[in-house]
Amino acid sequence: MERRLPLLVCFVSGLLMFIMYFSSHPTARLINLTVPLYWQIVFAFTLIIGVASYLRNNVRGIKKGESRPYRIVSVGGFVTMVAVAAIWGIKADTPFMWIFENIQIPMQSTVFALLAFFVASASFRGFRARSIPATILLITALLILLSRTPLGNLFDFLPDLADWLRNYPSMSARRAILVGIGLGSLTTSLRVIIGIERTWLGGDK
Amino acid sequence: MKRLEPRHWIFVGLFVAIGCTMLLKIPLEIPITDQTQKMYDYIESLPEGSPLIISFDHEASSLPEIKPIALSILRHAFRKGHKLIGVALYAEGTLIGYRLMQETAAEYDREYGRDYAYLGFRPQYIAAILSMGESLEQTFPQDYLGNDFQDIEMLRTIGNYDDVAGVISIADGSLTTHWIEYGGGRYDVRILAGVTAAMVTTYDPYVASGQLNALVAGLRGAAEYEKLIDREGGGNRGMLAQSTAHLYVIVLIIIGNVAYFRSRRKGRG
Repeated sequence: MERRLPLLVCFVSGLLMFIMYFSSHPTARLINLTVPLYWQIVFAFTLIIGVASYLRNNVRGIKKGESRPYRIVSVGGFVTMVAVAAIWGIKADTPFMWIFENIQIPMQSTVFALLAFFVASASFRGFRARSIPATILLITALLILLSRTPLGNLFDFLPDLADWLRNYPSMSARRAILVGIGLGSLTTSLRVIIGIERTWLGGDK
Repeated sequence: MKRLEPRHWIFVGLFVAIGCTMLLKIPLEIPITDQTQKMYDYIESLPEGSPLIISFDHEASSLPEIKPIALSILRHAFRKGHKLIGVALYAEGTLIGYRLMQETAAEYDREYGRDYAYLGFRPQYIAAILSMGESLEQTFPQDYLGNDFQDIEMLRTIGNYDDVAGVISIADGSLTTHWIEYGGGRYDVRILAGVTAAMVTTYDPYVASGQLNALVAGLRGAAEYEKLIDREGGGNRGMLAQSTAHLYVIVLIIIGNVAYFRSRRKGRG
């Protein structure tokens, strides 16, 4: 019963949502409206689990002295944001959003901008014509990069060539991957709905 | 003092190259691509007052690239007098989206509640997209500022996707895919997007199939859009820095390969 009940819930929910996706019946539309709302609530609760786990790991790390200064900053930031949100709320023009706008956004943008430096360094060291496939990749990358700069407009053929590379070789590979992912998702979903795939229930059986 | 390694010189070189070009303020000639033109034409073709959903599906880290795209699209839509409904499917995009809408609305004297509304964030993006397809009011009983949905004048006539002219997803990741698959696929709403350059190839198949109706791609797309709406912005300026970085990387790749082949020849000798 411990395993049959979840399997039954999974089967009924999976089948129901599958049918609902293709139906415009008023009942179907009502279900389509209600289920995502519960889905959002369930999702919000999973965040609580994430937060609890994050706090527990970091507090444990602080006690053991593992990367203590970083963990203290991390937990301190977390507690501050929760306290500020609890006192003044999270709408615009609150201290919570002031911290977000003036600390988090600049920090994240800075870290993201650093990528440009690492990409430059990595392209110097890694982009070598060591083999024929590597040479093809290298030439393609150079053409695409050049086509994205105003210098690319100096060569009439370059934007068209870059578009061709994107629209044919690149897109065909991506489509193949997408079709593969789609078929894989479909098969896995069917296996879960029917009950063949049971690893999500936990345990070995 | 510790000696600088080659990679450190590369970092310094990139910093100097970008800094110099930014100081020089070189004007760039950027031709308009078909996809950017399609976005412009679509917004331009809509009758004045058409409702559009603008979804801020990005994180704070990509703001330097996302902001010029979002600003140019918002400016165009506000200038045309369309009614804009802002939502965010990533928590981090919530305030950013609100600020961008507030900023551009003020430029065109647009009023909150009458010309635009901001509904804020809902967790679990697939659920949120599906739920909005049934009822925007049920998904967002209150807007970001805490006003009841029915108290907002422009939202009274908006039930679901059937009542909007399209959804413009401003994204730095694959979230637009969910708009295409669930919003476009299930509810047949027109999906358009402004995405970071790194995501362009992800969306190429959707553009080719017509599932994604228009795509403004990266800083270049933003610069093109700024040219179309005849309004200078961060896109053109960012494009200068980005182009310099691209050229710098091209030069580095060439130098790296010349050094590689020379060392290989020496090894053989």
